[in-house]
Amino acid sequence: MTDFLNRIMPNVLANWTGENGMVQGIWQTLYMTFWTTLIGGFIGLVLGIALVIYDEQGILSNRWVYSILDKVVNIFRSIPFIILLSVVFPITQLLVGTTIGPKGALVPLIIGTAPFYARQVQNTLVQIDPGVIESAEALGYGPWTIITQVYLREGLPDLIRASVLTIISIIGLTAMAGAVGGGGLGYIAVSKGYQRYQNDITIVATLLILVIVFVIQGLGDLWARKIDHR
Amino acid sequence: MKAIGEGKEIDFLAYEPIIELKHINVTFKETDREVHAVDNVSLSVDKGDIFGIVGYSGAGKSTLVRVINLLQRPTTPEAVVKVNGNELLTLSARELREKRRNIGMIFQHFNLMNSLTIADNVNFALRKSGLSKVERTKRVAELLELVGLSDKQHDYPTQLSGGQKQRVGIARALANRPDILISDEATSALDPKTTESILDLLADLNRKLNLTIVLITHEMDAVKHICNRVAVMDNGALVEEGELLQVFSQPRAELTKDFIDTTTHIESSLAVVEKQEIVQNLKAGEVLVKLGYVGETTDQPLITSLYDQFQVSANILFGSLEILQGTPVGNLLVVLSGEPKKTQQALVFMQDHEVAVTVLKSGDKEVKPND
Repeated sequence: MTDFLNRIMPNVLANWTGENGMVQGIWQTLYMTFWTTLIGGFIGLVLGIALVIYDEQGILSNRWVYSILDKVVNIFRSIPFIILLSVVFPITQLLVGTTIGPKGALVPLIIGTAPFYARQVQNTLVQIDPGVIESAEALGYGPWTIITQVYLREGLPDLIRASVLTIISIIGLTAMAGAVGGGGLGYIAVSKGYQRYQNDITIVATLLILVIVFVIQGLGDLWARKIDHR
Repeated sequence: MKAIGEGKEIDFLAYEPIIELKHINVTFKETDREVHAVDNVSLSVDKGDIFGIVGYSGAGKSTLVRVINLLQRPTTPEAVVKVNGNELLTLSARELREKRRNIGMIFQHFNLMNSLTIADNVNFALRKSGLSKVERTKRVAELLELVGLSDKQHDYPTQLSGGQKQRVGIARALANRPDILISDEATSALDPKTTESILDLLADLNRKLNLTIVLITHEMDAVKHICNRVAVMDNGALVEEGELLQVFSQPRAELTKDFIDTTTHIESSLAVVEKQEIVQNLKAGEVLVKLGYVGETTDQPLITSLYDQFQVSANILFGSLEILQGTPVGNLLVVLSGEPKKTQQALVFMQDHEVAVTVLKSGDKEVKPND
């Protein structure tokens, strides 16, 4: 068995463990994905909710706040990620003390993800029937209850779907961040696989990314379907 | 000022309507124009009333009733919105939210949360009720029992029919024991049979809980079925308001007549009746009249006495009879024929007996249409 694996992917086995090995790459990718999802997701969720409630039709409608948030989100959404990576490095240095490795990649990843997720959240929540929101207002509930008990609850199945989409896009971004020094499977695929003509490494790294994507997509779909009662 | 009910002692000086709206204007500013959705409306609703507001869509009914719980704020400063004696416009956001719990609301599209079971949808209304978890569960069971849905508590809204969903909406609206229920086209998305059962439920709740109901609709049938007072709304303004019987038997505004005709069909039948040969060729002494009568008048054998006293025979071409709040209201399209003079006397005789007589067509030039 080992012989067989050695024959078809010698470089993968040689680089399985150790510094910049496959195992480390998997962990780095998961590390970046996890923290970006958590922090970027939180910021995006808050921004997305704000975009909905300050909207003209929203429960706290405020034209100025909405317009500022909307523009900020648009600006950050418009910057290509690869440029963002190099533009934000002073902030990264300030916040996490390094600009390289998975930790150094977190800041641009979060800045790249939060506005993207904010739009996803906004698109999901505006689809909630305004009548349901109105009925909660008629029952005497304020913004906090309406956000936590109506928006987030009614929107949950679609929020999960939007989150899966965002996480998958984060995995894509980690590969890009990896290629410019962030580490992870993307880095391995490019610098150890592609650039050194070790095609087996490129293929295996790609397959590993696919596995992560499929698992997340599968779990997300399952969860969303389970709680969706529409 | 009038008494709310028999047997209760009422301090007439302190008596106030449960809902009092004065000088309500609502203007929506759109980019290129202003829309005057509610135009200087004042109205008051007494405790225990089932107050119907009818009007076509776009008449401003929904906007007007949303002023009652300030989901819609009036846009001019002179407005007064008093509910249970409290001026809502001066309240803080927190105080207003508390007062809203005393005003239940049900909606055309039910507005239930799809992510929650029926029981949880009702329970949702009790979050700020101060009840314990056990008490809340008990209250939810009571409410579902009240609307006849106890067996559905674990179902989700999508598993229910429209009528059942509206029952859940009613249970939710009544959870905090409100004095007032606003019904915003609550039966408009339902079939006629279900509509009737929901209206019966509302009438029942009105009696059992002394619940004041403000019901807006574009269906005169619904108003006829349960309301004791009715207001007609057109283009943001109230064009007519009064006791149901009075409005039904003596409508003043054209729009009111149109609405009444949607349930009596008397005006629309007229076109058909006028094409009939007997009406086309009226002879001298023959008239086509519309007879309208209310209450006791209908118990007298009027048509028979026309023949007995004046030898005038009546040929009934169309008739409608409504029972409004236990009082019969009738409309007939009739061709009367007899000697010209006698026919004229018969018309006067009927007017003396409180029948509203409208001469629509006459075969005799000498018979003057009455006023």
